[in-house]
Amino acid sequence: MKRNMRIIVSMLLIVCMSLSLFAAGQTEAAKAPARKVINLWSFTDEVPKMLEKYKALNPDFDYEINTTIIATTDGAYQPALDQALASGGNDAPDIYCAESAFVLKYTQGDAAHFAAPYKSLGIDVDKKLKEADIAPYTVDIGSNSKGELVGLGYQATGGAFIYRRSIAKDVWGTDDPAVIKTKVGPGWEKFFQAAEDLRKKNYAIISGDGDIWHAIEGSSPKGWIVDGKLFVDKTREDFLDIAKTMVDKGYHNDTRDWTDAWFADMKDAGVKKVFGFFGPAWLINYVMAGNSGGTKPGEGTYGDWAVCEPPVGFFWGGTWVIANNNSPVKDAVGKIIEWITLDSSNTGLQYFWANGTLNGPGGTKDTVASGTVMKKSDGTLAFLGGQDMFDVFVPAGAFATGKNKTQYDETINIYWRDQVRSYSAGNKGRAAALADFKKQVADNLAISAH
Amino acid sequence: MKSLKTSTNITKTIIYVVCIFLSILSIFPFWLMFVNATRSTYQIQQNSVALFPSTFLLNNWKILNGKSFNAAVGFMNSMLVSSGATLCAVYFSSLTAYALVAYTWKLRQPFFSFILAIMMIPAQVSGIGFYQMMYRIGWTNSLWPLILPSIAAPAMVFFMRQYLMATLSLDIVNSARIDGAGEFYTFNRIILPIMKPAMATQAIFTFVLNWNNLFIPMIILTRREKYTMPIMVSLLRGDIYKTEYGSVYLGLALTVLPLFVVYFLLSKYIIAGVALGALKE
Amino acid sequence: MRKKGINYAKYGYYFSIPFVLAYLIFSLYPTIYTVIIGFTDLRGLGRTTFTFLDDPFENFKLILANDTFKKSVVNTAVIWIMNFIPQILLALLLTAWFTNRRFKVKGQGIFKVLIYMPNIITAATIAILFNSLFGYPKGPVNDLLMTLGILDAPANFHMQEWTSKGVVAFIQFWMWYGNSMIVLIAGVLGISPTLFEAAEVDGATPTQIFFKITLPRLKTILLYVLITSMVGGLQMYDIPKLYLWGGPDNATLTANVFIHNQAFSGSYLYNRAAAASMLMFLIIVVLSIAMFYLMRDRGEQKLRRQERARVRALKREASV
Repeated sequence: MKRNMRIIVSMLLIVCMSLSLFAAGQTEAAKAPARKVINLWSFTDEVPKMLEKYKALNPDFDYEINTTIIATTDGAYQPALDQALASGGNDAPDIYCAESAFVLKYTQGDAAHFAAPYKSLGIDVDKKLKEADIAPYTVDIGSNSKGELVGLGYQATGGAFIYRRSIAKDVWGTDDPAVIKTKVGPGWEKFFQAAEDLRKKNYAIISGDGDIWHAIEGSSPKGWIVDGKLFVDKTREDFLDIAKTMVDKGYHNDTRDWTDAWFADMKDAGVKKVFGFFGPAWLINYVMAGNSGGTKPGEGTYGDWAVCEPPVGFFWGGTWVIANNNSPVKDAVGKIIEWITLDSSNTGLQYFWANGTLNGPGGTKDTVASGTVMKKSDGTLAFLGGQDMFDVFVPAGAFATGKNKTQYDETINIYWRDQVRSYSAGNKGRAAALADFKKQVADNLAISAH
Repeated sequence: MKSLKTSTNITKTIIYVVCIFLSILSIFPFWLMFVNATRSTYQIQQNSVALFPSTFLLNNWKILNGKSFNAAVGFMNSMLVSSGATLCAVYFSSLTAYALVAYTWKLRQPFFSFILAIMMIPAQVSGIGFYQMMYRIGWTNSLWPLILPSIAAPAMVFFMRQYLMATLSLDIVNSARIDGAGEFYTFNRIILPIMKPAMATQAIFTFVLNWNNLFIPMIILTRREKYTMPIMVSLLRGDIYKTEYGSVYLGLALTVLPLFVVYFLLSKYIIAGVALGALKE
Repeated sequence: MRKKGINYAKYGYYFSIPFVLAYLIFSLYPTIYTVIIGFTDLRGLGRTTFTFLDDPFENFKLILANDTFKKSVVNTAVIWIMNFIPQILLALLLTAWFTNRRFKVKGQGIFKVLIYMPNIITAATIAILFNSLFGYPKGPVNDLLMTLGILDAPANFHMQEWTSKGVVAFIQFWMWYGNSMIVLIAGVLGISPTLFEAAEVDGATPTQIFFKITLPRLKTILLYVLITSMVGGLQMYDIPKLYLWGGPDNATLTANVFIHNQAFSGSYLYNRAAAASMLMFLIIVVLSIAMFYLMRDRGEQKLRRQERARVRALKREASV
């Protein structure tokens, strides 16, 4: 027994010693002198590529950029970022990116205390905001509960209705966006009339219920949480009926977004030909163009598209850039962030981004947050039959609101759309779907219903 | 006698039919994966299942290299982590199992129950504590936290114990003692060779598990030069609207290839078998 | 061995030190942490301070009253049984075939390799693959069934509760039967070939050999397979999570997906997740004890017998 004691004691000693060694290592690290390194955390290589460009434009900017990229699709970005922010030290992020699905957690929610106000980075926020004419919804989302601006994006992701010219001509005799916007909107009633017109000629107005959900979500006056409780806004509750009508009357192909069938509908490979999709500019660039079955007008559906105002305003997606409050290199961070989010000159990031010239000419054009930049940029796309998409997307950014978002949206939307689908597929009644939805939220998030 | 032979032949036919069917079922996902590695992102989005290859292999390879995918670095790190963890797990689990089977000691039964118990704790929440600790002691961006915990692999100790109980005869241990061999020497030179089939199977499982492990490395390793293969593949997925599916599949295919090699190398121990006849009747 | 009555027990302790040390350093803190926060008010991101609840079992009560948790436990059990029974039967059948000397299955090396292969692809890849296979309104399975004339219109498989459960159970079965088989074969390889030879000489049929010789000696390994696949099955997480995120309408929500959602899906209810983990732990422990009892280990008795034999041998040695 004595021997056992000795073993146990020596084991404990070893544990203690090794732990204290680690601890010692850590305190030394904390005392490190001012560094010339900026840690950047992101979920794509978009922002890291921007910083490369920034360094190329500013040779005297002598900070080393240390990039960490973790994909959001595997669900590890947030846990890793949260750990790194909470632990601090030399590896802590100085600049980090957040996607619209979870940005509110970092600007207003549980992780808001890490976000540094842009003013504390030496940015003249008020003047610059006015100068660049930044889309208001991005400011709403990027402001913390004290009203200080802590995050901004570079894209504007206001949405439009993207429709097929040939189908529009077949049904209404014209493909003019000014006319089509009065056919599909404003409001859902007109949209349903259009769906009926299209159905008579055996077209589907949209591909699946996922397409309208973003528009409905974005147009509701109130978000999912009001005063700490779950609130089902009338606009959102109506989605149950809209989805059901769509299925019952055969207005769409009943696909799920981001599945094979949904992508196939972009090139007429689905059950019925699909008239349109709801989406921001990135949907055209990164999803529809590639899935149109062609690379130049005449091939597939390429060139047979146009954009017009949607029946209701909304935005979908986007990346916000945030600085760490505990960063020791705030000045340098401020310079970078200002260049990305608020610089409306021809050498600011957004000018390159809008015109697709960040990595040389001929890149993808995209809408950006600065109205000033949009005005002097050219959004003509062959994919849209030569239409300048900025004419529609710039006002779209103004219709969008950031006030109906919460940090729980990603999860609550999954539960909501699951129940809506159960109802529209006829698996359960409307009241049961609503009750089950509330139960799901209460059981999983501990948020009770109003 | 004749009827026995016929029935054996019928059974053999059934065996072959079933095995061939199961084999096709097994090859199927790999075939799809390799085919998709040759298709473009948009082809995959339209029909994610295809039976015949396309022509975009080179293109996918270019995209793969253009992104932060560095196959050589990822391969090295994955190899270090997986073989390190496998060696630790196999050797120390055998040692612990031997302690549980060959010796009579007071805490033996409690210790075994303890090992079983820790195997049954759901990992979802204890993960939080683990990350917290690794960040606190500054062991991020090190491969050690991915290797050393394998020394305590409860499920494997359990397997090795069961295996030893079924196969080990203490007579060999005793005769080694009579020959004057030390206990540690006996374990390394006499017991380990007996355990080869068990070690080979468990080595395969551990290697595969560690090679494919994504979540823990992703949180612990934040520097590019430390990334493992699965982290690099997951980077290709990035964002929902900018996933390069073709190169993701190519990356997955590249990730799987080393596993084949390891599996084929180790499988000879579970296929040929190691003569244990003399050990236990 | 010149010393009399040497005490080997200490080696039991020595050889366990590495395991214990690694456990203490890497896993003890996380485990204790989990246990403790189950009794606290710890929720919310990045918080490290917490206080114990006035009613220490409040989280446990909340979880036990949570219908979604109950449903997830039932789902876990149902899906586990659906995959476990066929899995173990097929694994045993294949083991019997491959280890029987009368059949001498040709190319069995290749078969063993191929059959294990589904286990080496990541769960994420497999789940995504099956999700597209069962796609609606167009997908390979729908296309096939319509071509064969079994279906007139595409079926929305992802909305069907039992199809979804079945697919998850099938994936689980298909990824793990090869694994179980290999473990069992390794167990059979540990049995002395002379036993089989003797049985063959006596004219035993393959069935007799399997049930009378192989199976009884495989019992310790079989126990391992049963326990680990139960532990693994009840902790099933990535396939149901990635196949349909626990849907449709919670049909494939397993206990561990529920626990993960509690902790990470927005409200960061770490305390409740920890409480739910402990409840699952208790369920698993109870079931494992039941299984140990059912399989009442002959090996254990054997071990005891061997010990007695060793003591005798030692005595003999001492008397020399």
